[in-house]
Amino acid sequence: MGRDPTQARRASSPPAGLERARRQSRHALHDGIASGALEADTMHAVAPIEIAQPGEARLSAANREAVFETRGLNVSYGKALAVASVDLSIYRNLVTAIIGPSGCGKSTFLRSLNRMNDLVPSARVEGEVLYHGQNIYGDGVDPVEVRRRIGMVFQKPNPFPKSIYDNVAWGLRVLGMKDDLDGRVERALTQAALWDEVKDRLKKSAFGLSGGQQQRLCLARAIAVEPDVVLLDEPASALDPIATSKIEDLMHELKNDYTLVIVTHNMQQAARVADMTAFFTLERTESGGHGVLVEYDETPKIFTQPADKRTEGYVTGRFG
Amino acid sequence: MAVDAARFSLTPSPRTRRRKLVNLLMQALATIAALAAVAVLAVVIISVARRGATALNWDFFTKTAATFGQSGGGVANALVGSLVIVAIATVMAVPVGILVALYVSEFAPPRIADFVRLVLDVLNGLPSIIIGIFVFGLLVVGSGQAAWKGSFALAIIMLPLVARATQEVLALVPTTLREGALALGASRWRTVVGVVLPTTLGGILTGTVLAVARAAGETAPLLFTTSIAANTVTWDPRQPVLSIPYDIFVLSESADPADHARAWALGFVLISFVLVTSLTARLLLVRYRKRLEG
Amino acid sequence: MRVTFQEELEQVEAALQEEGDYVLRALRAAVNALEQADAELADEVIAFDDEVDQRYFSIQEGIQSLLARQTPVAVDLRLVLAMLHANLHLERMGDYCVTIAKLTKLVSDVEPDEGLVQAFEEMGQRAEEMIRVALDSFQRRDLEAASSLVDLDELIDRANRRAVERVLDLGGDISKREWGLRMIVVSRCLERIGDHAVDIGEQTAFLITGEFREFTDASHTDGS
Repeated sequence: MGRDPTQARRASSPPAGLERARRQSRHALHDGIASGALEADTMHAVAPIEIAQPGEARLSAANREAVFETRGLNVSYGKALAVASVDLSIYRNLVTAIIGPSGCGKSTFLRSLNRMNDLVPSARVEGEVLYHGQNIYGDGVDPVEVRRRIGMVFQKPNPFPKSIYDNVAWGLRVLGMKDDLDGRVERALTQAALWDEVKDRLKKSAFGLSGGQQQRLCLARAIAVEPDVVLLDEPASALDPIATSKIEDLMHELKNDYTLVIVTHNMQQAARVADMTAFFTLERTESGGHGVLVEYDETPKIFTQPADKRTEGYVTGRFG
Repeated sequence: MAVDAARFSLTPSPRTRRRKLVNLLMQALATIAALAAVAVLAVVIISVARRGATALNWDFFTKTAATFGQSGGGVANALVGSLVIVAIATVMAVPVGILVALYVSEFAPPRIADFVRLVLDVLNGLPSIIIGIFVFGLLVVGSGQAAWKGSFALAIIMLPLVARATQEVLALVPTTLREGALALGASRWRTVVGVVLPTTLGGILTGTVLAVARAAGETAPLLFTTSIAANTVTWDPRQPVLSIPYDIFVLSESADPADHARAWALGFVLISFVLVTSLTARLLLVRYRKRLEG
Repeated sequence: MRVTFQEELEQVEAALQEEGDYVLRALRAAVNALEQADAELADEVIAFDDEVDQRYFSIQEGIQSLLARQTPVAVDLRLVLAMLHANLHLERMGDYCVTIAKLTKLVSDVEPDEGLVQAFEEMGQRAEEMIRVALDSFQRRDLEAASSLVDLDELIDRANRRAVERVLDLGGDISKREWGLRMIVVSRCLERIGDHAVDIGEQTAFLITGEFREFTDASHTDGS
């Protein structure tokens, strides 16, 4: 029913002792919020915890530099268009994954980033690939210089028929990085998480290594020459799950020093490893079909809330 | 039940029996053909060996031909002569052959590569006497014969062999190996020299050995370029020298039956040389394949 | 191997424990505000719930991202699912603290009944203890400790019933009637907090044993 007003008034000024107790518990709450430290009688102290979404902490527009920017990139083999009109930016010190069904031009796109397509006589490239602002297909650009800065690891491990040491050292010698050769070789092998396994048999043939080790050797070889970017074309598809896992862990480490772009047909791998994911698909035409870029976004977004229906169809496995 | 047994029966039926017969027949035919080939070679070697056996002695290998009328003597000058001619021809042909193969395999645009390959094939098929006449007209007319001019003719014959063998092993080198080197930022040339060529050395050696075996037995090109030779052992390439195949020809025309025996013996030496080099080439190829496949 | 994955799991679990700490603080403050009829403190408790909610959303997103990107299986999957549930339970506890605070504000001008205040202090402590046991047993994967929550909950339930009876005793005093009704709801809130702690214990059991069931089912009180 109604409240007795006299009662209300009386209780509006509480006794002094109570006031102090209140202030204490209020401070406990305040201090708790402000500094994260707590009084001993309550609970163990804890500082506010950031659940970092991968790439989120790094991805603020202000400090994200674009290493590559492609504009209207078309790649054809002879008359057949392989990849059409790609506009994509690759950002520094991130892992960017390219996923999509077979034949959608993922590898073609990747190889156009370091002019490996030049090796195919019928390959033609239109549009621009800007590397730190310079078009790598521009006049006067030396493809050898391009590949010095943008290295590549291939699908099937392809070590040279040389010793383990020479595999890593060959590139260094050829590019004139001969000072402290032993040290450079050791550093590269360490970065590729291979040093401990091979340090006692550096002079043995590289073919004596297992598939996973050979692939890490190829990685060591590529990073020994200190590139800016490392491109990886399905680097783990020929490897067993444990070797694959080692390569994936490596990529998390390597992205601190390099920018990585990986093509993979295993989208779970892209989900695990990549900060940004680009989804390509095959657009069918009368003459066959060509690859197009459908969606490019932060990996969590692609795998939780893709914007394009085709992306969703692919990652949920309902198509492709 | 009986029907099922028939469907899944694994025991022979009339059809399988006929198939087995045909199999056996084909196997037999193939085996006979192989045996025939082996038999031919065996017959040749044995008959040559038999007829030349009498002439094979120490003098045969160390002395030159006896003066007319006297017995004894040997074919030392022919042996040395062949050595000189073939060695120089090898030095001429192998580097060029490798370079041509590199050009065709690594550097040439596809159409030009096809054209050069065709040229090499034609060169390979050119009758050796035509090569001999050509070199005669080019080098010998007006200036006389010399061992090195014979080498030049032989080199022309050896070139397509070396080039072809080198090309084939270059093609065996997986593209991905080249890509691996190029992706590091190595130039085309460095890739070839540092990664591709070392891988192919075994195959190149094989090709060279086979080319040498062929050149050692060629007669026609030497007819016009280095045949009028003194009866002494010379190591000087500027002089015309006697060669084994030409000497066989000369000895077989002689009236002296001892010379005939020497011709057979020389033939046996040549055949042995070819045998040894072929076997070596085969062994090298096997080892090389193993190495490349890791 | 899968170092990043392990780190992410640990991060989410650490955030969960942190959310638990925040809930504990909120509960302590809410009970204090109740005992001292402190409306200002109650306001702070209400505002503080934003912190809990922030953690709640953040953990939810973290779990969604983990599931989408890492496809956890076996014990990892059970951990993620257990954290998903625990997250929800903690957030509900936070909401109950807000309810207690709001009710405190409503009756802050009324003098509290000593006996009931004592009872609430006791219930508050029990609830706090249960939350701590729930969080600890989750962290240490301690099945026994988690199972002990059932017995602790029994104590709170009894205290709840005693509180209700006390309020009924006060029934005669009209001035206290509204206060009494409100206090029954407060008691209920504390009892529900205890239930949610038990639920977290059940998640711990699921994580360890793989069996997803209740310790005791409210609809089967005969123990079956």
